[in-house]
Amino acid sequence: MSLFVASLGFGLVTASILAIAAVGFTLQFGVTNILNLAFGDVMTASSFIGYIATTNGVGIWGAVALCALFGAVFSTLLNRLLYTPFVRHGTKLFGMIVVTIATSLIIQNTIQAIWGPSFFSLKFSPGGSYHIGSMVFTSSQFGIMAIAVASMLGVYTLLRYTKLGKAMRATACDPALARSCGIATDRVVDVGWLVSGALCGIAGIALAMNVTSFTSTTGGTFLIAIVAAAVLGGVGQAYGAMLGALTIGLSSEVAAGVIAPSYKQVVAFVVLVVVLLIRPQGILSEVAEAKEVAA
Amino acid sequence: MPTSSAERPPQVLEVEQLVAGYGGAPIVHGVDVSVGAGEVATIIGPNGAGKSTLLKAITGRAEVLEGSVRLDGKDVTGRRGDQLARAGLGFVPQVNDVFGTLTVLENLEMGGYLLARKDVAPRVEEVLTAFPALCDMRTRRASKLSGGERKMLAIARVLMLRPNVIIFDEPTSNLAPVVARSVLEDQVRVLANSGSAVVLVEQRASEALTIGDWGYLLVAGRVSVSGPAAELLGRDDIGELFLGRETKPSPALNEISP
Ligand SMILES: Nc1ncnc2c1ncn2[C@@H]1O[C@H](COP(=O)(O)OP(=O)(O)O)[C@@H](O)[C@H]1O
Ligand SMILES: [Mg+2]
Repeated sequence: MSLFVASLGFGLVTASILAIAAVGFTLQFGVTNILNLAFGDVMTASSFIGYIATTNGVGIWGAVALCALFGAVFSTLLNRLLYTPFVRHGTKLFGMIVVTIATSLIIQNTIQAIWGPSFFSLKFSPGGSYHIGSMVFTSSQFGIMAIAVASMLGVYTLLRYTKLGKAMRATACDPALARSCGIATDRVVDVGWLVSGALCGIAGIALAMNVTSFTSTTGGTFLIAIVAAAVLGGVGQAYGAMLGALTIGLSSEVAAGVIAPSYKQVVAFVVLVVVLLIRPQGILSEVAEAKEVAA
Repeated sequence: MPTSSAERPPQVLEVEQLVAGYGGAPIVHGVDVSVGAGEVATIIGPNGAGKSTLLKAITGRAEVLEGSVRLDGKDVTGRRGDQLARAGLGFVPQVNDVFGTLTVLENLEMGGYLLARKDVAPRVEEVLTAFPALCDMRTRRASKLSGGERKMLAIARVLMLRPNVIIFDEPTSNLAPVVARSVLEDQVRVLANSGSAVVLVEQRASEALTIGDWGYLLVAGRVSVSGPAAELLGRDDIGELFLGRETKPSPALNEISP
C-alpha cells in the first residue's frame, strides 16, 4: 500500500511535467495546426540550456525563467524560418508532420554533435525532503508542481478571459473566419508559438530537474507520453491535455512503482489505446471537428 | 427600386472583371458586380456556378487572378480578410459562419474584435436587442445552437463592427422556410433599409430577388444576366430555370446580352 502511495507521489510530479508539456504541445497544434513532433527535442535543447546556465552559477529558478524564454524564442524562430516556408509552398498537415520529424532528428543530432552521447545533470540542490504520508517530495519537486499549477492557471486565464486568448481559440477554430472578424491571425499564431514554446522550455528543464541525468534523447523519448496525454485529451484541447497528463502521469508511475519501472511507457500506450477504442475523440472533447491547415 | 443602372445609388463595393479560383483553372471568369448603400444586390445561379468562389475572392479567401475590387473607391483587391474587416467589409459565409468552440457571447466579442475594449460590451447588448432569442444563451457553445439560432448568431456577429458592406452567402440554406423568410425579410432587407450595402447570394432565388434591388444571374463563372431585381423576377426564362416556375418556351439564356 505504501509503495502505491509513494508512487502516486512520483506520479504527481511526472504528471505536472507532463501537463506543462502536453498543454504546450496541444496548444501549438490547436492554434497553429502544425503537429510539431520536434517538441520533445526542443525540450531537450532547453534541458541543455538549463545545464549551461546552472553550471555557470545561475540559480535553478533563474534557469527555469531562462529556459521559458529560450523555448519561446526557439519555437517561434523554428516556425518562422523552417515551418512557415513549407506551409507557404503548400505542404499540408501530413507533409508538415514529416517536416517536424526531420526537424526533430536535426535538433537531436546537433545536440549530440555538441555534447556527445554522455549523461548530464543540472547543477542545483534539490532541497530538503518532505513527507506527506508515504509520499516524499523534495522542495524542487514542490517547485515543479507549483510551476505546473501556475502554468495551467495561466493558460486557463489566457484562453478563457483575455481578448488575445479568445482570439487564439477563434483562430484555432476557423482562421478564415477569424480574419473576417479583423483578427490578424499571423500575429495570433506567433503568440501561439511563443506561449507553447515557453511551456516547452519550462517542461524541458523541469524534466531535467526530476531525473538524475539526461541525454540528447531524453526529450524525444518523453514525447511518447506527451502525445499520449494530448491525444487522450482530444488533440488541440488544452483542458483535455491537463486531464490526459494526470491520467498518464499517475498511471505510468503507479505501474512503474507497483509492477516494474519498465512498464512506464507500456502503461502510457495501453491507456492511450483503450481510450482511443472507447472514445476516439479523446476524454474531454465533445466533438472531433475537422481542421484545415492554416496557410 | 431602381429600374436602370443610372438610378442606382453610388456604388460602395465595385467588382470589375474579376477572375478568380483556387490555384488551378479559374472558376470565376471576369465578373462585374456592385452594390450601393441601402441596396440589396442579389446573386442567383445554379449550384457550382461559382457564387461562393466569387464571394470568397472578394473577401480574401480565394485567389484573385485578374480584375479589381474597390471598397468606398479604394482598391482592396486581394487584401487579407482582417484588412477588409478594418475597411468596413462584413462577411457571413455559407458554412462555418460561427466559431463552434466559442460561446455565443465570445462569438460576439470576436465579431467586435476591432472595437475599443470599453465599447465591446455595450455593443453586444445593442446588437442582442435585435436577436432576443440569443439573449438567454450567451454562455452556450455555438456548436450547440440550432440552424436558425446559429445563423442569427452569425448575423449578429457580423453586425458588431457596423460594416458598410455586408456579404451573405446563402444565409437560408439549412433553414426551415418560415425561418428563411424571416432571415431575408427581417434581417437582410432591414439591414439595407438602415443604410448598409448588402450582397446576397441565394438558392431561394425568387424570395431573394423579391427583397433585392438589383439582380445578377451567374452561370458557369460569368454574369449571364443583370438588371433590376424585379425585372429578373418577371422574366419567363429565368423563372423557368431558376425560380421553379413553369412557363412557355422562351429565348435561351445565351441569346440575352448581359
Ligand atoms: N476550395 C476549393 N478548391 C477547389 N475548387 C473549389 C473549391 N471550392 C469550390 N470549388 C469548385 O469551384 C466551383 C464553383 O463552386 P462554388 O463557388 O462553391 O459554386 P456555388 O457557390 O455557385 O455553388 C465548383 O466546381 C467547385 O468544385
Ligand atoms: Mg455556394
